[in-house]
Amino acid sequence: MYQENFDEEFIGDIDAVVENYVNVGEIYEGEMVGEEELIMQAHSGAQSIPEQVRKFLGHLYRNMTNGNVNDLIYNYENQFVRLSDKYYAKTSWPEPQYVAALVGDDGLFLTLYRELYYRHIYSRLHPSLETRFRSFENYCDLFNYILNSDGPIDLELPSQWLWDIVDEFIYQFQSFCTHRSRVAKRAPEEIALLKENPQVWNTYSVLNVLYSLIQKSNINQQLLVSRQGGDVIEAAGPFGVRPLYKMLGYFSIIGLVRVHCMLGDYTLALQTLENIELGNNRALFTRVTACHVTVYYYVGFAYLMMGRYADAIQTFAHILTFVSRTKQYQQRSLHFDAVNKKADQMYALLAVAISLSPVRVDENIHTHLREAYGDQQHKIQRGGEEAIDVLSELFLFSCPKFIMPNPPNYDDLEAASNIVEPQSYQLKTFLREARLQLVVPTLRSFLKLYTTMGLDRLSTFLDMDPAELRNQLIVYKQRCRQIKCTSGSDLLMGEPVATTDLDFALQEDMIFIAESRVGRRYADWFIRNTNKIQDLIGNLETRQKTFIANASKPKEEEQPVVAAA
Amino acid sequence: MASASSFVRPTTRPDEIHSLLTGVERYNPQKTGLLEDYLARQCANPDSTNNHDLMANLALLKMYQFNPDMVDLDVIRRILAKALISQSTGDFNLCLYLLSDEICKDGSISKLLTLRNYLERAQFTKFWKEVYGGDEEEDSVVDGIAGFDNGLRRLIVGEITSTYQTIPAKSVEAMVNLDEEAVVRLAKENGWSINTGGVIALPLKSENEAKATVIKENVKFEQLTKILSAANEI
Repeated sequence: MYQENFDEEFIGDIDAVVENYVNVGEIYEGEMVGEEELIMQAHSGAQSIPEQVRKFLGHLYRNMTNGNVNDLIYNYENQFVRLSDKYYAKTSWPEPQYVAALVGDDGLFLTLYRELYYRHIYSRLHPSLETRFRSFENYCDLFNYILNSDGPIDLELPSQWLWDIVDEFIYQFQSFCTHRSRVAKRAPEEIALLKENPQVWNTYSVLNVLYSLIQKSNINQQLLVSRQGGDVIEAAGPFGVRPLYKMLGYFSIIGLVRVHCMLGDYTLALQTLENIELGNNRALFTRVTACHVTVYYYVGFAYLMMGRYADAIQTFAHILTFVSRTKQYQQRSLHFDAVNKKADQMYALLAVAISLSPVRVDENIHTHLREAYGDQQHKIQRGGEEAIDVLSELFLFSCPKFIMPNPPNYDDLEAASNIVEPQSYQLKTFLREARLQLVVPTLRSFLKLYTTMGLDRLSTFLDMDPAELRNQLIVYKQRCRQIKCTSGSDLLMGEPVATTDLDFALQEDMIFIAESRVGRRYADWFIRNTNKIQDLIGNLETRQKTFIANASKPKEEEQPVVAAA
Repeated sequence: MASASSFVRPTTRPDEIHSLLTGVERYNPQKTGLLEDYLARQCANPDSTNNHDLMANLALLKMYQFNPDMVDLDVIRRILAKALISQSTGDFNLCLYLLSDEICKDGSISKLLTLRNYLERAQFTKFWKEVYGGDEEEDSVVDGIAGFDNGLRRLIVGEITSTYQTIPAKSVEAMVNLDEEAVVRLAKENGWSINTGGVIALPLKSENEAKATVIKENVKFEQLTKILSAANEI
């Protein structure tokens, strides 16, 4: 079959179909045999599950039914990952039907198990079209159960897990959209299946889930009341008071931001966050690091696409400082690698933004940026076609995956396979703006050398027609003014500010140049060093105290403390 | 104000549209007509201070993005033409992000892209030539946008006043595509003075002043919290 030829070429979420189809076939056969045999099979299937995994599933089930959230955190963040590495690095987790026997056929548990099961396939194997369909159906079951029950359901899950469910739901949606749009790589049977099932991973239904979770939990009202004062419990309502609904609603807001960005709707993305205060260190998004990083990534990206480079820089710099400061605590966390990858992408985006709109950033960020992207930044600043190439490269490395909200025209595959991918369209549109921004560094480097200068002189330096140079100077002026967010709460609003240290004005043909300088930061220096010495003194005092405390104790216990000191 | 953001609700936006934009009804294809009618009203209004509602127009483009069979290229043309003369320079690109390569291939849409190129490169004379030049028979791509010329002039005047302190009146004529007499009138409207040599002096404002400054550091209260709490312990 011709898909086999493509297997080698692709990595990641692109699929090798054949192998998984075999599995699916087996299930179908299984369903056709008699019930008794089925039970036998399920038992033997359950028997084939390693003892350790069986125990784990039992614990997971018990902790879930008993509402032991703390134990669930351990089950989910540690054991699940370790068992996946140990037993299922290259295969899927046990078939849900085999697991059913272990947990007394508990429907909700099995739905949640299937979510993990499919997620594992997506992350380590190549999901077949069949798997993609089934995973979607499973999400429908899960969300229908949560949203359509008469009262709030009795379930509590760790925040991390809930975030992962919402996040994975959107990831699989995006992956499906990309998958179906590459019609040239789909087999005829797959095309037929896709055509018959337009409701699967339909954009409206995905948005519907997210909006419903937001609505059910009254999360926007809750956030509004908690900011403006009032009775949060009343605002939350019977569903929203439950952590499950509240967190799902909250994470759905962040999920929506992501979906809007994937569709190129950057204003709506930022508008969606109107009730969430960025920069608030105690905001709910900080509870899950992956979520924290995701919010800032998409907000920063949206700003970048809107040409609000100053805001983008501030957003990225903020979160990257956070990531680098907390790195040592995160090493064992579930999403350490994912967070680091996002951080890498954000450094690339930051490099883009800073090259287009130079500004001073935090010392550590600056150093890292120079090490990782110094070369690229230099090339961008030099301008010309090479700059565009570098910009494109950095952009494609770090942009989100864009999607088309609608299926391609399966009746005209020829035309459908020629459609320009949304990735390159977004890049092209971004470059329209970015290209203009490149005027700034070039002109700046010349203007910096003078305080007054004739227009004709500059035009000879630049080897440019004086009339065109006049235009470029206007462009420079325009490009150095940006809308910048002023209040923390509303991300869209802002004031126009000058984003350059080098300003000029024209009197007919004479350019008058003025440079703003940053004064020495004495106070900052003193504050930092006062804090340092305070820490030092505090440290010495505690050591002294422990030393005195230990000195009065019996001798044999003294030994290790001295060694440690 | 020239700095008016496109994200603030314009005074001309009816409640019906506002609630549509802030709720889930924005995905309801049956509401497309409502947004299209609203666009028509924006296009008929020549007052450039309140005749552009970017958020509503983006919502309309999103309708088209989700329902390709509903796409009306003439509506997209008008949305882009409106965004072209918007005081917020980013508006045009924000509209583009919601379109696709196919749509950009359309004749009038690609012409608007060319116009946008001239405008953002401050090549105003080329712009004027292109926008009304060409085939007499053909309708202009900015047809049906009330007050297009004036809106555009307002934009260009904004660029001139933030770059120049003095400028020959002749240059202004070419940039705004007006004759000598009309530029004199324009100068009067904006409070510019023209001296005998035909040079216009523009009032100084922060944008065209070019004053060298020293940025002083600004100590925030939060920076001092640690020191203050330590002082408290003593």
